[in-house]
Amino acid sequence: MKKVSRRSLLKAGLAGGVAAGLAGRPASARATASFGGYPESMGVLVDLTRCIGCRSCEAACNAEQHLPEPDLPFDDTSVFEEKRRTTERAYTVVNRYETPAAEHPLYRKIQCNHCNEPACLSSCFVNAYRKTPEGAVIYDPTVCVGCRTCMVACPFYVPAYAYSSATNPVIKKCIFCYDTRLRYGRPPACVEACPQEALTFGRRQDLIKMGHERIRNHPGRYVDHIYGETEVGGTAWMYLSSVPFDQVGFDTDLGTAPIISYVKEFLTIVPMVLTIWPALFVGFHLLATRKENARDKEKKS
Amino acid sequence: MRAAVANGKLGPGEAVQAGEAARWTLREKLLLGLSGRQYLALVFRNPVNWVLACIFAVGVPVIVGRFVFGLGWATHGSYDYPWGLFLAWGLFTMVPLSASGFMLGTTVEVFGRTDFKPIERLALLNGLLGYFFAVVYLQVDLGQPWRLIYPMFVSLGPAAVLFLVAWHVATYLSVQIAEVSPAFFEWIGWQRGKQVVRSMILGLTIAGIILSTLHQGALGALFTYAPGKVHPLWYSAPFQWFHFFISSIFAGLSMLIVVSSLCKRFMTWRCDERFLGSLDRLTIGLAKGSSLALATYLVVKIIGVAHDGDWLYLATGWGQYFLFELFVGVIVPLALFTRAIRHDRAGLARVAAWIAVAGIALNRINTALVAFNWKLYQEVPHWREVVIVATIYALYFVVYRFILYRWPILYEWREGQEEPCMTLSRSSTGG
Amino acid sequence: MKKARKIPLSGLAAVLSLGLMALAGGQAVGFDAPEEVTLDQMADLYEPVEFDHAAHIELTEENCAVCHHHTTGETPVQARCLHCHATPQPAESVACADCHPQNRYAASYLRAMTAAPYRYHTDIVGLKGAYHRLCLACHQEEGAPTGCQECHARTERGDRRFHAGAYAPAQRPQAAHH
Repeated sequence: MKKVSRRSLLKAGLAGGVAAGLAGRPASARATASFGGYPESMGVLVDLTRCIGCRSCEAACNAEQHLPEPDLPFDDTSVFEEKRRTTERAYTVVNRYETPAAEHPLYRKIQCNHCNEPACLSSCFVNAYRKTPEGAVIYDPTVCVGCRTCMVACPFYVPAYAYSSATNPVIKKCIFCYDTRLRYGRPPACVEACPQEALTFGRRQDLIKMGHERIRNHPGRYVDHIYGETEVGGTAWMYLSSVPFDQVGFDTDLGTAPIISYVKEFLTIVPMVLTIWPALFVGFHLLATRKENARDKEKKS
Repeated sequence: MRAAVANGKLGPGEAVQAGEAARWTLREKLLLGLSGRQYLALVFRNPVNWVLACIFAVGVPVIVGRFVFGLGWATHGSYDYPWGLFLAWGLFTMVPLSASGFMLGTTVEVFGRTDFKPIERLALLNGLLGYFFAVVYLQVDLGQPWRLIYPMFVSLGPAAVLFLVAWHVATYLSVQIAEVSPAFFEWIGWQRGKQVVRSMILGLTIAGIILSTLHQGALGALFTYAPGKVHPLWYSAPFQWFHFFISSIFAGLSMLIVVSSLCKRFMTWRCDERFLGSLDRLTIGLAKGSSLALATYLVVKIIGVAHDGDWLYLATGWGQYFLFELFVGVIVPLALFTRAIRHDRAGLARVAAWIAVAGIALNRINTALVAFNWKLYQEVPHWREVVIVATIYALYFVVYRFILYRWPILYEWREGQEEPCMTLSRSSTGG
Repeated sequence: MKKARKIPLSGLAAVLSLGLMALAGGQAVGFDAPEEVTLDQMADLYEPVEFDHAAHIELTEENCAVCHHHTTGETPVQARCLHCHATPQPAESVACADCHPQNRYAASYLRAMTAAPYRYHTDIVGLKGAYHRLCLACHQEEGAPTGCQECHARTERGDRRFHAGAYAPAQRPQAAHH
């Protein structure tokens, strides 16, 4: 049985069980283990050996997304003293890593990796997320309830939450500049701002080839792995590094299965419970109370 | 407050004398037949109420603050720990502790074990209130609680586990309201409504089993979204839902033992002979159910470790903590329950039940907070978060007590006697 | 190859100086090399760079291949280039922008890179990337300036973009949340 049919079975079961009208979901949302991403989807290859930690990408992101003023100027390198993560006020951050293997410190840019099969999307119970054919994982903040399950589900700790807002707190994360750039075929603001071209924008499929070519053409420069090529089902943003990835803050234990595949084991039982339980327990009831029933009948007759 | 009644300072009999009116009155229904002044005197005499008042004095402003200033004010607003104590306690612990409703519903209505009838209503009420306050906790935790119905009607994400939780908790809450409503109808004196519900009870009960199986499991399955974040010992993709489901069985039953023993101890005046007389026997019955579930849970936990190949983790500090949780939360209550059953000692079963309830809380908080992000740092909840959790629990306690004092939960409504008779019967009415 | 060459290093860039016939000896620089080149790829955020081409010719000891790869007819510096360019012919153009596109991510360019069969150079950095990677790598090695503003001062727009200078955030205590 294919995963797709299991999923549709689940949906049918759910619909029966809760009498919920099934809103049609865009095909894009039907993430399954066999989904390898849209063929034409775009991506970015981040080459850690090229990044110089100038934070131009952070500044560009801040301007493009109209984010609040930062605490420190974007040319202030004191921020590297601690490891930062994405927040409601910064959709991308660069961290510095001093590693034993490299002479120079390495810098790593963090942002949404725009998974092929996003965990945030599959965990969202209001269907706010969408994976666009261009490769971006975008979301509709007007339906966000603020349950923050996507933050729990994201293996990369990317989505942030507008905790500071009392009236309209929603999820905040990088959207690949979808609204202003990607949908028009343009690279995101961070890529355009990068002076070193540490960020290479292109079709994801081409970038994978390009990454492997770089590894092949520069013996000894890179670890022979593109982080994100296969991690959690593949991501649109991928990384090349000169040192083992776990030394520069990457989680190397994520595996290649998309996050949804871990949840499927439960999702599979849902239609079974919905369909088998009623008959089973009515049966138990009839068995358990058959003496009483017989007695009742006798009384009547 | 009614402890005072139980202590004999102002007994039910006194209240009965005070309640002269033989009609459905506010006084009969709400003030337990006491005059306003007598009632207030009772309220002030009870030290528990002073504790509650202190909690509310601090907690209510904090809850107001949470909605005025946002979650970032009330919690640490952690991006790494999006779920804090509100959900770890309010949702993930309250819901299994409320599994009593469907357990006893099944026992009595489906399996025809009518001998559990005296405690069935308490089990159903415990379920209803637990779920209701789980939703209250959820509403405090949601960033936009006013959008709670979005997953139902506005924007549906049916492939998400939380979608299932939302729908099932909502439907099950309705089922439980229906199941508990006969007590309410008796109290307000509307026999017709009661009969309607009675006719649907088997359907409701089976719906309850289905919904409970799925959403108890689904709460566990929510964590399967975070394979890298929850420590492997507390994580098992194939077994997580089963762990949560099985543990909810003994959690619900143990909670019922705890609540019923509290009622027997502090609300004796409200309980009728049918309840008091059978409670020890029923407690042992519940203990049997609990111990079976505990044993199953223990085995499936071990299978989970074996299946995922997590043995090596047991040798680490996390492993010690895992074993501690399993020992205190499962093995100890299992041993005590077994002993209690063998020697027919309801008291021991009650001790075991308290431990099992604590064990469940420990497990859920461990899964949601302690073993979560085990590779990062440990989040310690903000004090305001703790205050809010305590305040809502105090509210839960107050509502619970309010209903137990009044509705025919711990006592049987005498059919044929119309509502006003309440004041005439010593045993079955709240003085 | 005595024809005067323009080196359009960027869209707006003009070659400031042409026809320097005789830079002290060496056949390699036997054609017209500009003395100074204006680099204004990022002119909105940074002032243009007046690149002293002549000085860098000296610094590289007139080995144009250090920067221009095989295009000037000299043997490339990188070993892997030698597979094809061991005996290079001078190319039509030696201008950076002729190979390193200013608009690296134009859809047409991306398609051209991958659609052409047997194409080897599919991973060419854009013009801005070419400058920075080449310049910075050497500057780091040689101990030359590497700070952004040591080569090009930020414009007012740049200051605004970086929330720096006159646009620096007011000193304030760290935000309370998270």
